[in-house]
Amino acid sequence: MEPLIEEAGLSRTGASTDAMGPAPATPQKKVSTRGKSPTAIAFARLRKDRVAVTCASVFVFFVLIAIFAPLLAKLEGQDISTLHQDLLDPYGLPTIAATGDHWFGIEPKLGRDLFARFVYGARPSLLVAGSVTILTTFVGVVIGLLAGFAGGWTDRILSWIIDFVLSLPYLLFAIAVPAVLLAIFVGNADGGADPNEVAQVRFYSLILVLSFFGWAALARLIRGEVLSLREREFVAAAKVLGVPTRKVLFKELLPNLVAPIVISVSMALPSYIVVEAGLTFLGVGLVEPTPSWGVTISAAQNYYKQDPLYLWVPVLAITMLVLSLSLLGDAVRDAFDPRTRR
Amino acid sequence: MLLYILRRLVSAVSVVIVTLVASFALFFLAPTDPAGVICGPRCTPERLANIRAGLHLDDPALVQIGVYLKGLVVDREFETGGVVRECPAPCLGYSYTLGEPVTKLLAQALPVTLSLVLGAAVVYLAIGIFTGTMAAQVRGTPLDKAVVGTTLVLNSFPYFVFALLVVLYATFLPESGWTSFFENPFSWASGLVAAWVCLGIANAAAYTRYSRASMIEALGQDFVRTARSKGISKNRVVYRHGLRAALTPVATIFGIDLAGQLTGAIFTERIFDLPGLGNLVLRAFGQYDLPVLMGGVLVGSVVLVVMNLIVDIAYTFLDPRVRLG
Repeated sequence: MEPLIEEAGLSRTGASTDAMGPAPATPQKKVSTRGKSPTAIAFARLRKDRVAVTCASVFVFFVLIAIFAPLLAKLEGQDISTLHQDLLDPYGLPTIAATGDHWFGIEPKLGRDLFARFVYGARPSLLVAGSVTILTTFVGVVIGLLAGFAGGWTDRILSWIIDFVLSLPYLLFAIAVPAVLLAIFVGNADGGADPNEVAQVRFYSLILVLSFFGWAALARLIRGEVLSLREREFVAAAKVLGVPTRKVLFKELLPNLVAPIVISVSMALPSYIVVEAGLTFLGVGLVEPTPSWGVTISAAQNYYKQDPLYLWVPVLAITMLVLSLSLLGDAVRDAFDPRTRR
Repeated sequence: MLLYILRRLVSAVSVVIVTLVASFALFFLAPTDPAGVICGPRCTPERLANIRAGLHLDDPALVQIGVYLKGLVVDREFETGGVVRECPAPCLGYSYTLGEPVTKLLAQALPVTLSLVLGAAVVYLAIGIFTGTMAAQVRGTPLDKAVVGTTLVLNSFPYFVFALLVVLYATFLPESGWTSFFENPFSWASGLVAAWVCLGIANAAAYTRYSRASMIEALGQDFVRTARSKGISKNRVVYRHGLRAALTPVATIFGIDLAGQLTGAIFTERIFDLPGLGNLVLRAFGQYDLPVLMGGVLVGSVVLVVMNLIVDIAYTFLDPRVRLG
């Protein structure tokens, strides 16, 4: 909306100089108006939003930590799995606080370096949340487009599936399903299975379960949008011109769905980070030896008095990451929603 | 109207049936061996075969699910190692590890979850509606902006971290634990108060936002202007006329939310150590106790479906503008 006003202002000043100026060389002075797509307008709004820019930089900061985790750990000179038992007292409590060797100190009991585990811990959080967001967005958009555009029995069946998925108690399933998957892929849960293998199955089953329950809400949203869009003239025109259905869906309809999709992505990302950390904290998400903030928080709650840094580093990290992403999501929604007035 | 309710009912029942069959397939027909889990590490093949027979694990899939479904209406008997155990009518199986019928375990857990969720609802509805209504009246002032900012931050704060910090650092709250209300109402309340406050405050943020938005819209309506111009006092207009209109959407959200919380109070139950539905399912996960897992999932689904049904039907009564199609 703002650019429109600016352009109007520009043309008005242009006109007044034309009227008052002494014989302009070109009477029809062209005002440079560039058509901006709604997405471009939204991004321009976002760039002006100080909260959004700050939050985006916090997010980028954590992404960089995740990407350069090995480098950062090397910089410190430690790794995630070495046990520094010599630095523990007989009760298993660390005898050192944060030092030049161990920037965030070491874990009680095992004595692993906390800084290395912190930087590596950013990885599963972002990986799980990122891949679940991509998967659910893709499936949600495709199913929503299909259901909304096809109508008839396709729509009825897909809508029923959407309603079905939405009416399942998703946390309970998120707990129950990995137990079954684990038994299928690794053998019985109590057997002496290889912890690395277990950790890997848990990683993929978490992504699978979260994706299975995540797509439906977006699909319902997209379906609703498509239902109203498909009656519009440009779709009818494309159909009359003989544009194939696939092209109508992805070339005509999809560009009109950018706003709801972007908003849903920006809301989904932080929520999956919370869910991943939360389930891991409950012991039903990722497990050792995967370095993950949820695992650390869960272990550190027993040492919150003796070793506050152990608890507070992952707590602050996850809070900052989620908070900044959520606030960014809010800003994105405001920027993309044409009804927001500023 | 009747047709609409009937259609919603059919759809709800179909969801429950599919959930039942799907989770049964997932838990019992998957290539897993529950018998091995019950039998434990020091297991003789003889005993294993005995357990398998007792659980009907060698029967065809359809017979197994038939037995399970029949158990919902008729008493079942379980025979493990020569001991016969009764499982009275709505039978969802026998816990492998606790040696109790699943129905009994669920019946013990449900009051805990209900007390937790309903008590917290009182807290967040009271705080949320009050703060939201106040903020709507002073819209645009620094106070309103402070309220909106606080709710925004609180709303996006990871809940389990919040709850954990409350448990670890808010030690002035009475220690949490479960006592039945009928046994001792006072210790029932004092054991739950910490969890109520925690869940209540976390959710109050969302309800403040809903009520504020809803109230702002209601106060902009013609009937509010008319009421004011008739000379009715501002407070009366806000609390009698405005609030009534503003609460309908909030009530709808509350209905849907409540269903979600009944199955989603896991974090609160775990962190505050309350033996509710979520904790039961979590324990079952740790011990690979399939009947309990399945029972928990099933009860959760039914609760969710029934609540959604109630909300949908209630909404058509609450808001005459809703057209049934």
